[in-house]
Amino acid sequence: MSTDKTRTNTNTFTRRDFVRLAGGAAAILGVPATARPAIAQGDDVIRVGFIGSRSGPLGVFGEGDPFLVDKFNANMADGVQVGDKRYGIQLILGDTQSDPVRASQVAKDMINSDHVDMMLTSATPENVNPVADACEAAGVPCLSTTAPWESFYFGRGAKPGQPSPFKWTYHFCFGVGNFATLYADQWSLVETNRKVGVLLPNDADGNAIRGLLLPELEKAGFTIVDPGPYENGTADFSTQINAFKQEGCEIFNTFPFPPDFPVFWRQAAQKGFAQQAKIVQMAKAGLFAAELEAMGALGFGLHAGAYWHKDFPFTSSSTGLTCNEIAAGYEASVKKQWNQQVGANASLLDAAIAGLATSDNPKDKAALAAALSTLKAETAVGLVDFTSGPVPNCATTGLVGVQWVKAAQGPWEFDLPIVSNADHAAVPLTGKMTPYVLQG
Amino acid sequence: MLDALIQGILLGGYYAILAAGLSLMFGVVRFINLAHGDLAILGAYLVLFGVEILGLSPLAAVLAMLPVMALAGWIMQRLLFARALGSGVLLPLLVTFGLGAVLQNTMFGLFGSDTRSLGNHIGSLSWSSWQMPFGISLGKLPVITFAVAVAALVALQLMLSFTKIGRAIRATSSDPEAAELSGVNARKVHRAAAAIAVALAGLAGAFLAMRALINPYAGPTQLIFAFEAVVIGGIGSLWGTLAGGIVLGVAQSLGSTFSAQWFQLAGHLVFLGVLGARLYAAHAHHHGGWRAALKLPRTVQPRAVEEDLP
Repeated sequence: MSTDKTRTNTNTFTRRDFVRLAGGAAAILGVPATARPAIAQGDDVIRVGFIGSRSGPLGVFGEGDPFLVDKFNANMADGVQVGDKRYGIQLILGDTQSDPVRASQVAKDMINSDHVDMMLTSATPENVNPVADACEAAGVPCLSTTAPWESFYFGRGAKPGQPSPFKWTYHFCFGVGNFATLYADQWSLVETNRKVGVLLPNDADGNAIRGLLLPELEKAGFTIVDPGPYENGTADFSTQINAFKQEGCEIFNTFPFPPDFPVFWRQAAQKGFAQQAKIVQMAKAGLFAAELEAMGALGFGLHAGAYWHKDFPFTSSSTGLTCNEIAAGYEASVKKQWNQQVGANASLLDAAIAGLATSDNPKDKAALAAALSTLKAETAVGLVDFTSGPVPNCATTGLVGVQWVKAAQGPWEFDLPIVSNADHAAVPLTGKMTPYVLQG
Repeated sequence: MLDALIQGILLGGYYAILAAGLSLMFGVVRFINLAHGDLAILGAYLVLFGVEILGLSPLAAVLAMLPVMALAGWIMQRLLFARALGSGVLLPLLVTFGLGAVLQNTMFGLFGSDTRSLGNHIGSLSWSSWQMPFGISLGKLPVITFAVAVAALVALQLMLSFTKIGRAIRATSSDPEAAELSGVNARKVHRAAAAIAVALAGLAGAFLAMRALINPYAGPTQLIFAFEAVVIGGIGSLWGTLAGGIVLGVAQSLGSTFSAQWFQLAGHLVFLGVLGARLYAAHAHHHGGWRAALKLPRTVQPRAVEEDLP
């Protein structure tokens, strides 16, 4: 039963969890037999695997999943209508433990033992790529999100200009192009000398950004100062900071391994660069409020991009919640400030249900994959449209520009207004971008 | 260049604190603790616990953490390390490797995978600096870290030189059996050394958490730097760890002025160079000094061939 699967993979099992689990089981047993035929009959239940990081270093990405699954199960209790037939839906949860090897194993186990009809996965190429590869090899339709689409598509062996080698796996997310559009707008909102210092590590993301994004930014009229790739885990950034200071950079942009950013930024404040920068644009780092809280007063005013925000004017059809309700529900259930991933995972469930509903037969894997290839669905992150993607198998979703500012009132220390919507026009602005000032 | 040199020396202070415990454990107990980095992170989490949950000041939390970590070290030596010690080379490595995994996952279970930092609890100290001539800025935190490293090593040196337990530690480290014969309880000495080593690891973790972010899985990376500092400085040598830490830090920061990618590479190269030189020196020592060792192939090979014959 799905509730069992949900719980075996979480680490802490409190008394409250037990009561909730027991209550849920009792509630299911208490439903009259006629109300749950879909769950009783194997053929009429669509089994959907949902693999993510629910423990390990990336565990924070999966923290909202128990909450989402609860809401999903409640909202989808009647199943999904496909043509003239109604199917029950069973979510089967898997935990990658933040390990790509484990992710692949979990996906294979789910395909072979649980016989899933469809696979879902999200959050970082470390989860998405191995799960998608396992599904591609086994011929199971797979839908994924939250990893730049370039790393999903090119990172798994597709070649530019050639037909897509993937038949079963589909992905929607932002890509380099979204950053280019966003930054061109967001960096024009504050008066600067348009000189950008970039800190890009020698890893897959850093090198992809160096090769693809920097030329776009130069075309948009920015001067790039790149002191070169560095290794993740570097403890002293004097060289880079001195270079940015000498060149007089007023914009700073980085795609670091997240724990490296505070090391850099504290040193930048020691050496006077933080006092000189007007726009401090983080990507990869600065996704979670906890990272900002760890920076203390140095965090006020930092800029970032967001793939989901609680003020998105969209509704998640699969959970039946508006974006504001998702954020509020997450905060009530996890007792932490909302994060972008909970909305992105909701959008994954939304897109999955839309895909199932438009397939002729959700138990026929080829029909389901065909439905995903032309999927067009409203989700919690906005419209997901595979008919107009940059490459086959991929659809792009928009990014908004945000700024971490000191919250006017509690309970959280930081607030995150939307200051740029050039890349996602359907989202209204909720704040005005201001220059970074040391200590806010 | 001067700036890189200074930043490298200050960074060396942190490496020295981290490496001192590892070096002490190896020098006295002859025990390689692969969980040393994870113990450092545990110390950092204990300080965070003291500050955030118990409401202590950061300084008080660090001071409170040290005896707790020392006690943990004492208990681990008593229950775990001492038992592994007598069973060959492999078992201590496996035991501490396993201990590291247990520590990581325990911390994940208790504190979650959110990255945390002490930097926001020490106000502007984590990022403010003193401005020096020639445009050089000395970060206050790196200077304090360096000063604490020197103070900790001086205290350790005084303890080793002038106290009874210090003499016992020195005696045990140079010849455990002779020390036992002279009435030193080697097991007790080992426990004392483990307590000091784990407390030092915790201190290093606290400074790491002030400078950077920590998460439950951050330990192994720190272990590498600690190992390199220990090997560069000379295994079991107290002031050698400070020298090793400084050499490692300077190599890294000078390397990065050459190319940003050279930060870690330069450190690793210096480490490999020193390790190679040490191995060669040991080899030469066994063969009658440098000069004799250089002529080695001619004098040794014929004998080796003879031995191979039945």
